[in-house]
Order: sequence, then C-alpha cells, then structure tokens
Amino acid sequence: MTAAIELENVSKIFGKFPAVDSLSFRVPRGVVFGLLGPNGAGKTTTIRMIMNITAADSGEIRVLGNPMTRETQNRIGYLPEERGLYRKMKVLDHLLFLAAIKEVSREDARRRIGDWVEKLELKPWLKKKVDELSKGMQQKVQFIATVVHDPEILILDEPFSGLDPINTAIIKEYLSDFRQRGKTIVFSTHVLEQAEKLCDEICLLARSKKILEGNLRDLKRRFSKDMLHLAVDAEPSEIASLPGVATSQPVNGGYLVVLAPGMDQREFLRRTLERHPLRGFSAREPELEEIYLDAVKAAGMEETRTIE
Amino acid sequence: MNWKKVFAVIRREYLERVRTKAFWIATFLVPAFFLGYMAVQFASIRKTSGERKVAVVDLTGHLAQPLASELAEREEARRQKTPGSRGIHWILEPWPVAGDLDRTKDLLRKEVLDKKLYGYLVLDPTLLEKDRAEYYSISVSEFVALEQMERAINAVLLREKIRQQGLSAALGKELEKRVDLKTLKVTSKGATEEKGGGIIAAIVFLAIMYMTFFMYGFQNLRGVIEEKTNRIVELVIASVRPTELMLGKIIGIGLVGLTQYLVWSLVAMNLSLPAIAGMMAMGEAGAPTIPVSTIGYFLLFFILGYFLYASIYTAIGAPFNTDQEAQQLAMIPSMLIVSGMAVYPAVMNNPNGGVAVFASLFPFTAPLMMFLRTAVAEPPVWQIGLSILILLLSTAGLAWLAGRIYRVGILMYGKKPTIPEILRWVRYRPGKALQPAAPTAS
Repeated sequence: MTAAIELENVSKIFGKFPAVDSLSFRVPRGVVFGLLGPNGAGKTTTIRMIMNITAADSGEIRVLGNPMTRETQNRIGYLPEERGLYRKMKVLDHLLFLAAIKEVSREDARRRIGDWVEKLELKPWLKKKVDELSKGMQQKVQFIATVVHDPEILILDEPFSGLDPINTAIIKEYLSDFRQRGKTIVFSTHVLEQAEKLCDEICLLARSKKILEGNLRDLKRRFSKDMLHLAVDAEPSEIASLPGVATSQPVNGGYLVVLAPGMDQREFLRRTLERHPLRGFSAREPELEEIYLDAVKAAGMEETRTIE
Repeated sequence: MNWKKVFAVIRREYLERVRTKAFWIATFLVPAFFLGYMAVQFASIRKTSGERKVAVVDLTGHLAQPLASELAEREEARRQKTPGSRGIHWILEPWPVAGDLDRTKDLLRKEVLDKKLYGYLVLDPTLLEKDRAEYYSISVSEFVALEQMERAINAVLLREKIRQQGLSAALGKELEKRVDLKTLKVTSKGATEEKGGGIIAAIVFLAIMYMTFFMYGFQNLRGVIEEKTNRIVELVIASVRPTELMLGKIIGIGLVGLTQYLVWSLVAMNLSLPAIAGMMAMGEAGAPTIPVSTIGYFLLFFILGYFLYASIYTAIGAPFNTDQEAQQLAMIPSMLIVSGMAVYPAVMNNPNGGVAVFASLFPFTAPLMMFLRTAVAEPPVWQIGLSILILLLSTAGLAWLAGRIYRVGILMYGKKPTIPEILRWVRYRPGKALQPAAPTAS
C-alpha cells in the first residue's frame, strides 16, 4: 500500500529565506505522525504545501499515492493553525457549509453533525450564532468541521495550542479513536512532551531542514546511551569514580549514570554492588527532547537562532 | 472549476446576507424614503392653494378689471378640466393711490405685514413700457402662483395692445395660442413618441446601477477582509480553490443586490405606481413605458459592470486586514464609478458626441454610459458591440489579476503590505520564489 503522504526534496523559499529546504519524509498509513520543531522551523509551510494551499517551489508531494487532486482534498481533514469561524453564522449552518465544500451530501452532513454534537455536548448550541459560543465551544466546532466528512487523513497544525485542558483531553481521546479505526493523523507541534505521548512516527525539523525522521521507539533505542538510574546513597565523587562511568549527575534519590562506550551493563552493576549497596536501579530511555537536542548538535545546528 | 463547491459558497454568501436584519431594513427603508419624498412633493404642490387677496394699484386705470376677470376665467377653466382639484383663488382688490405712490406703497406694506393682504401688484404705465410690472408679497417663491399671475398679466396686456392697434379680438385669441412641442424618438424601426417616461425609467435604472457598483462592490471588499480577520479563510481554502471562493462570493453578493431590486420592483408595482401615475397625470409626462430593450441592456451592462468592479474591490480587499487599511485604495474604484456619473450631463445632451462615445467605450465608465446611450439615443451597433467586447476583456483581465492577488493576499496576516509588494504577488509563480514576505506563522 502506498504511503499516506510522501515528500521528496520539497523546497519553499520566501524571498531569500528558505522556509523549507529539500525536505523528504514519508507518512505510512494508519500512524500518528508528528511534525516537530521549534517555531519558525517550517512546519506550517510544510503542511500548507501538503494541503496545496501554498505551492512548493520544487520537489514532489504525493498524498495517497498521487499529487493532490480535488478528490483527495475531500478525503483530508485539515485544522489550520490560524483557525476561526464565520462569527455571524449559526453553528449548524456553518458546519453544513464546511461539509458542503467537502462535497458531503446534506443528509450525510446532518447525520454526522448530529452524532458529533451529541458526543461533544454541543447540541443545545446548534441554532446559536458562533459569536455566542465560548472559545472552548468554538474549538469543538472547529474540530467537528475537521472530521465532519469522515476523512482518511487528518492534518492538524498545532492542534493543542490555545486549547483548555478539558478540550485537549477530548481531542486526544478522539485522535486515538481515529487511529484505532485505521486513519492517518499528521500533526505539528512545538511541544515535544505532547508528541512523545501521541506519536508513532516523527519528523524533526530545525531551521527549515529535516534533522531526524523515523519510528519513535526505534529512535529512542538508537539514541539511548546506556543510561542507568541508580538508587544509591553515596557521595557524587564516589559515583563519578566508579569504573566505566562516562558522566553522572545526582537526581532524585540517586544518580543518573551514562556508561562509557563498551562498558557492559551487567559488569558495571556487579562492580557497583561490590562497593555500594543499591536500593534499586533501572534502565532509562532518553526523552524526545534529549533526542532532539542531540540530533541538533549532531547536525551542527546548535544555534537555533536564525540569522536574517 | 468545481461548480458544486462554487454553489456552496454562493449559497452561503447569499443566505447569510439576505437573512440579516440590516438587509431588510435597507430594502424597505429606501422605498419608504422614496415614497416619503414623493408624498412631500405631492403635498407641497397641493398646498399651493387657498385664497390670495392681492391689492392692485392700477396707475393705468383700465387693467385691473380685465386682469381680475382673466384670473377668474383661468380658475374656472382649471376647475372644469380637473373637477375637485384645489387651486389658488385670487381676490383682486383695486387700491386707489392715496397721495403719492410711495405713501401708498408704505400703507400697503403695513397691510401685508398685518396679514390683511397677501400681497400687492403695481401696474405702472412707465414700467409697463419697459415690459415690467411689480408684485410685492411676503412669499415670492410660490412659483405656481407667480406663474399664474404672470401669464394672466401677459394675456391682458396682449389683448390691450391688439385693441389699441385696432385689430380684431379674434386675432388676439389666435396670438395667445402656444405650440406644444411633441417629442418623438427616431429609431431604426421608425419613430415613437417619447413622453419622458422612458427617459425617467432609464435614469432610475442608471441610479440603481451606480448605487450597486458602490454598495455591493464594496461588500466584496468587506467580505474578503472579514474572512481574513475571522481566520476562517484557510479552512475554506483547504476545500475550495481561491478562484472558486472569489467567484462564489462575487456571484452570491450580486444576487443579494438583484433580490433587493426584485423587492423594490414589487413594492413599486403595488404601492408607488398609483402614486407615480397620479403625479404623471398632474404633470405633462406620460406613464412610464419601459422598452424591453432598456431592461435587456440594463441587465447586460449591470452584470458586466458589477463583475468588473467586484473584481477590483476583491483585489483591493485581499491584501489587507482591516477596512481602514483598504480604505485608501478603495478610493480608486469609487473615483472610477463617480467619473462615470461626472460625464452624465455631456452624454445626456449629446448622446452620440465624442465624449459620449469615449465614455461608453472606456471600460470603467462604459457600463453606465453605454446603457444610458442605448436608452436615450440609438448608438451604432458596432459601438455597442465594441463596448461589450472591451468590457468583457477588461472584466476577464481584472478578474484574473484579482485572483492572483487574492490567492496570495488571503494568507497574509500582520504587516500592511505595500503596493510594490502586492504587484509582486501578481507576477509570483511557484518555482520563481518571488513571494516577498514570509507568512507570520511558519
């Protein structure tokens, strides 16, 4: 089966400033894919190019196996970062309009809108004007607008920005629901903790370039540097002087120890036990943020401030 | 072009506007205002009635009596022509000269100020030699009354002169007769009588067109900016092409305008037509007979002109974030529309002259002026054809230009773009990397 989305050497230049620089990545079907990076890394431009809102200067973008067509556009649910609603429209009319421009028949649209407002507790507001809704409720309406045509792919640009905790929880729940039903979800965020919990696959961007891509679990394994957490009572100098320790730092109730290259984990623990009684130990996976910082360092792009 | 999507946009634009209170208020306020205006006019004409007691200082000694009977005769004739109509009833009171004329005038002035007299007339032979008579009154702007008095005096004087020359009174009657100029419009199909109704209708149509270009053209600008400030446009663009959205908006808003005309025509047919007919009967103009060709040309030039101006307004709205920012550039189409009306007198006076030909071919004045020419004269067919062709080409060109600006502009937030920047958007093609500024979000 073809990938949900594929980018090949896609570039976009605004004036002299490259917003996206020969970017390639692949989003397999049925995964949650995170497009990550700090503000200004090129995430929104990339998403807009996938959506065919902005045209790429060079490179190729394929959605569901082909360059974006009108027909594929109707199979995508898009939540832009800059999102709003027609303020004077009634909620139901608004959702019917957004469904109509996705070529959903009026009956289908009515039925689906009915289901969604039931789920999201918006039913009493259907006949109200968007103006009269709280911000949180407007966000729910925007979410329904994104999914009302039952899309195969969801593309969400910073979906959680500006969301209150309750709506964040609701949206996360429905996203995992979508994934269960085999849909593909692509979302961008600059908050790495969110991505860590939700994503199967990620693509890290920094300064318009891709610096890392792949399955999150594989990446964690690749970037784990034999890190151990030791619950032990000892002086920092005693831990640092243990054989095979590259670096160590005190953390809550113990130390976080990175082993020197080539040091065997079991051998290290045996030697440590000879000197200090351990209350416990655990292997620790790197957090996404650490992976990100390492990758940035490896790419020689520590200075994330752009020179303009 | 996906017409299903365009239709969805048209439907939204149309329904959302027609459902607003503002639309219905405007729709009913305009005819109400118009009817009110006519009622005031009507009332003020009817008000020129009642008694006018006027003193006549007749220094000639033999004009006061014939004048009084002349006025009475005219009053009687009018009453027979339209029974029940109220008009002015003149009561002439001969006033002897007491002492010298100035003293008499002083006295009369007081009488007028005390409201005992409406006014006084001085028939002085020395002044009559110079074709002058003097009428004094507190109100000297009652044109209906003044005209009656003037005509009566002229008639009396004419008769008097004929009598002095020893000619027959029958000749006097003949000389009083005036020629009624009957106007006939020459067309290729022959000549038809033009009672003024057709021209009035053409002017009403012209005013409607003029107003629509302004009002509904500007609605396009506001609509575009509103979509930007509401941050809805990107969500829509993900499903609809910018050109489809633009077209849908223009058509939807245009239909709102047409709906308004429909309501107005229905109101006019049911309410104001009897009133207009009544006014026409009082005046000399006949009831308006609107030729089918006028309606046809109206629709044609209305649609062409509306699309032309709507495109310009859309292009001007797209780069900006607030109405205020767009205001300055919005002057351009406004001036162009006004310039169409500025040449109106020249075209009206000489519908086939040089100014008229130019104004009806120049695309920005053509919709209004070519329509006017077809209504009041018969311009050569090649000129009508050329005007339509130029309009079609300019509209297509401007729509294309607007589309290019729109496409880039609707996604631009933040800083107000400069005109050179906007012009660069027109030339921008993906792959050429001419897009000047990065969007605020990336």
